[in-house]
Amino acid sequence: MNNETEPAAEPAPRAVGAQVATPYRLVSEEGLAPRAPTGGGAAARRVLPAFRAAYGFTSQYFPAILLVAIALTILGVYHSGGLTLMGQQVRNALVLGAIYALIAIGYTMVYGIIELINFAHGDVFALSGFYAIVIAEALGLDKLATSGLGGLLVALIVLFTLSMIAAGLTGMLIERVAYRRLRDAPRVAPLITAIGVSFLIEGFLLVFFGPDNVATNKANWITGNAFSAGGVAVGFKDIFVVGIALVLMFALGAFVRGTKLGKAMRSTAQDRAAALLCGININRTIALTFFIGSALAAAGAIVYSINYGDVQWNLGFRLGIIAFTAAVLGGIGNIVGAGIGGFLIGIIYVFGGSLAGGEWAESLIFAVLVLILTFRPVGLFGIDVGTRA
Amino acid sequence: MALLEMASVTKQFGGLTAVSNVSFSVGEREIVSMIGPNGAGKTTAFNCITGLYPVTSGRVLFDGTRVDGQPPHRILRFGIARTFQNIRLFSYMTATDNVMVGAHWWMKERVWDGAFKTPRGRREERDIEQMALELLDALGLGDRAGSYARELPYGLQRRLEIARALATRPRLLLLDEPAAGLNPQEKNELMALIARMRDEGLTIFLIEHDMSVVMGISDRIIVLDHGEKIAEGPPAEVRENKRVIEAYLGSGASQEARTA
Amino acid sequence: MTDLAVRSPVALLRRVTQPARSMGRRVEGRSVYLILTLTAAGLVLLGWFLPWFVGPFTAGTGFSPQDVVSSAPTGFATVLVYVMGASALIVVLSPLAELVARLRKMTLGVRVDQVRAIAGAAGLVAAVLVYVLVGVIREEPAFGVLSSTTITNSAVWLTMYGFGVALFAYGAKGLVLTRPNLAFAIAALPFGALLPLMFHQAPDFLLWAASSLAIYTLLALGLNVVVGFAGLLDLGYAAFFAIGAYACASLSSPIHGIHLPLWVLIFLGAAIAAIFGALLGAPTLRLRGDYLAIVTLGFGEIIPDLATNNVFNLTGGPNGLPGIDQPKIGPVDFGTSPQWYYWSIVAVTLISVLLLRNLQRARVGRAWVALREDEVAAAATGINTTTTKLLAFAIGASVSGLAGAFYGSMLTAISPDAFQFQVSIAVLSIIVLGGIGNITGVILGSFVLTFVIFWALPHAHEWSATFAHNFNVSAVGNINFPQYTYIIYGAALILMMLLRPGGLLPSRARRIELQTGVESESLAAVQGRA
Repeated sequence: MNNETEPAAEPAPRAVGAQVATPYRLVSEEGLAPRAPTGGGAAARRVLPAFRAAYGFTSQYFPAILLVAIALTILGVYHSGGLTLMGQQVRNALVLGAIYALIAIGYTMVYGIIELINFAHGDVFALSGFYAIVIAEALGLDKLATSGLGGLLVALIVLFTLSMIAAGLTGMLIERVAYRRLRDAPRVAPLITAIGVSFLIEGFLLVFFGPDNVATNKANWITGNAFSAGGVAVGFKDIFVVGIALVLMFALGAFVRGTKLGKAMRSTAQDRAAALLCGININRTIALTFFIGSALAAAGAIVYSINYGDVQWNLGFRLGIIAFTAAVLGGIGNIVGAGIGGFLIGIIYVFGGSLAGGEWAESLIFAVLVLILTFRPVGLFGIDVGTRA
Repeated sequence: MALLEMASVTKQFGGLTAVSNVSFSVGEREIVSMIGPNGAGKTTAFNCITGLYPVTSGRVLFDGTRVDGQPPHRILRFGIARTFQNIRLFSYMTATDNVMVGAHWWMKERVWDGAFKTPRGRREERDIEQMALELLDALGLGDRAGSYARELPYGLQRRLEIARALATRPRLLLLDEPAAGLNPQEKNELMALIARMRDEGLTIFLIEHDMSVVMGISDRIIVLDHGEKIAEGPPAEVRENKRVIEAYLGSGASQEARTA
Repeated sequence: MTDLAVRSPVALLRRVTQPARSMGRRVEGRSVYLILTLTAAGLVLLGWFLPWFVGPFTAGTGFSPQDVVSSAPTGFATVLVYVMGASALIVVLSPLAELVARLRKMTLGVRVDQVRAIAGAAGLVAAVLVYVLVGVIREEPAFGVLSSTTITNSAVWLTMYGFGVALFAYGAKGLVLTRPNLAFAIAALPFGALLPLMFHQAPDFLLWAASSLAIYTLLALGLNVVVGFAGLLDLGYAAFFAIGAYACASLSSPIHGIHLPLWVLIFLGAAIAAIFGALLGAPTLRLRGDYLAIVTLGFGEIIPDLATNNVFNLTGGPNGLPGIDQPKIGPVDFGTSPQWYYWSIVAVTLISVLLLRNLQRARVGRAWVALREDEVAAAATGINTTTTKLLAFAIGASVSGLAGAFYGSMLTAISPDAFQFQVSIAVLSIIVLGGIGNITGVILGSFVLTFVIFWALPHAHEWSATFAHNFNVSAVGNINFPQYTYIIYGAALILMMLLRPGGLLPSRARRIELQTGVESESLAAVQGRA
């Protein structure tokens, strides 16, 4: 053993000897002395483990804690307003949740495939609302829709098809122009362009449609009460909103699970390089993801227009963050999770707002967003689709 | 007394056991190598020692003090420095700044010293920069002191990582495949460097695939396979060990290629 | 580098004479040179053409370029103008002298480049002095109410300053290329410091310069610590600005009957904002880049909401807090002479710049960059990632606290509207535009963007109306310019990230990094705790 180390050790003394009188030391003498590490006060060391344990507990039981909190909120509403108020709020929450779910799916699909928080997605939603207004006006759909059931069906089919195509193409365009070049850049670089796209869309909407609410003329497309139970009137509109959302979500699920393109999307999400090696056209797959996500946002926008009757230029910003919260809640990258998250956020928004006052509803959602990202970034179901090495 | 002691350390990732009940120790001023086929858990063991991974069970003792469960920066302050298998330099800092980061934890300069450029802070900055330049010079990086780490050729990056580790004033230096990607001459220089560092009092624990390096400088060799320690002893002994030969049998050819 | 164990004194010497970051500086130096040249050209052109352009509309009297020359000031100022002329001659003719000397193979007794540099600097100094004299003696405003005389006189001095900058940039080219930050400071500081003299009959412009330009510069400097130095994308920076502003407003208004002086509030605001910076930063410690951005965005939305909803009856609801004190020191009333606000905030900004620059080059600054480059390696090199990140949040936030203290006092009232998301994005745009991580770039970015968004756009209507009148193009006469603000932010962010990710003045590191993309996972992710 020593025979082998000695020849190797020789050059070092010779080299040092060639130097000045005091040999230079690579290894600091101070460093070799035994020591206890400095820094990090003793108090901090005592507090930190307790802190960490509390964090771990909250993190692990976050879903349970959240669900208990939601249940308590619902009970609180029941306590304050009785069954009727609760029933009405359940209806409102489902309607709102359906819209959030439709938007959340777009966030989750894009994140699942390129790990980008598509900040502009909420604004694509708002933009689609305006697309729907323009399309309906150009084709006279508003008159057609109010003329009878047949007319309504035709108008809906035409409006949904055209708006979704328009929004889908917009989504593809955004991806092509703003994100594709930055696909291999650090995560925050495309996030910054996404914010840029968001502001650009809002800016254009502001310039073209002005700062005020714009009536969609679709509030009277679907009217009438389907049934009422216990003082809660459920309109055809409410059933329509929730129904459309569910149908589209199941259709999407079937598409992703069943078709070749869906498989391409899933494999690209799993491992882009491997998918490329298997002959999958990555660019097309990603573009398709943006198309579908944006088209669903357009569906959400039409549903929103019909339900609430007006849209604003900056509607997409806060709605987008709320829908993103839904996507995170369901585990970002998880399409079913985004659907469930949408409805959960609808419940939190409506019941929390009902209990604390409507002006607090959005703050509440943002608080949920902060809490979930802090304690459980993988979402309620703990399936971390987004993270890969 | 042993400087570093691993006592029945186990590390699991979900269901996968990467390091299984491994015990060994590294004595002061020793050069110990850890070898084993790919995926044997060598780097995982390093990460357990340096606190990058929390251990699942077992204990890591440094100079008699238990260090597992401590955050990485505190473990470093005990005197355990390391380099990485896939070099992890601060790419867009100059070589000098990379080394100066190594001095971060033992510098006395406080935030206000930096902000207000107090004489104390300025003096220390000057001293540390001087220290960094001398260290770089000693490692043959002197004329690249102003280059960004990323612009250095591969061999120099490896050396810069060692310089950064040395600046942290370690007692024990963990080297993760320091010879990977080096040409024969650079390998010889590396072996000389390791020997010199040991002669100056440092303890060295390295992971290495290159058998010429391992056999050439190690006082002792630890062999891991599938997360378990299968052999330990002086190079001559380990070379003859049946289990070691078995473990390497499948990859014998590639091993020869590496040795060449 | 082959003699591994031998120290090379030659290399050491080379290292000492050639600063480590010199390569980075030279790249940046070229950008600064270009920017100074363009600025000079812009000022000169503006000075010559603006009066000609607005003249017919405002007074009906024509205006010709000769007026710039003929309306030179009298007395001592005339001497200075001649000094400028002489230095211009030297600068322009010195290459000729060199050429002649080379043709005749003579050696000149003096170093031409040194003479040229001195002449250039003298030209700039002369321009600045004229500027001061005119400001003191003649009291002519610019950018105030449009009239032919005000425009003319302002134009003359803008032109002079343009010539001064041009002389400096060309004459002292060596300095500009090697010490770009110093050169930028030399060219910009006199202009900035003397602005009130120039514009003191235009309190609108001054108040704007103090309440928008300087405030946004401060905010951008603070955010730059978090985003640029430490690499933590903070989308809710306006929250800290709001906290600082509300805290200071509460302590210097009739609401609680507390009236602390502004100079105390500056420190208090900074301290309070710093505490909140660390508090709100804490939940993000383990998050990776994009999630961190969203959490900070969440805080950025919650804080103004709290203010709007009048939490604990402290914030006055949607109307905010009115009646904030304006300092009076002896005869100086900040309320009626906004130049004092301007000077104090410029002083505070300058001090902040110096302190932040020192920090960047000190132990903490290196730790931040190390953290940005590779969190895992930083932790394994002994950097406490937790405290280092929190320090970045706290110091970044404290700068916005400074801004908050001034903001309330200058506007005498604050409301939640002033702290919405678009403020955070405006500040982020400034940083992205100027160059992430580069203090000089950030200042430049805030000059450019703030001027465009908060001065040019609101006033563009007047200018376009003039244009419509002069050229009989009614279409441009009634454009609502401010509504393009969002498009400008959006376009700035997208174009800069796609085309010039390092900003106008990239720090070399940042420029390559955003293009090629190195990204390290967070320490928590490696440890399996995220």
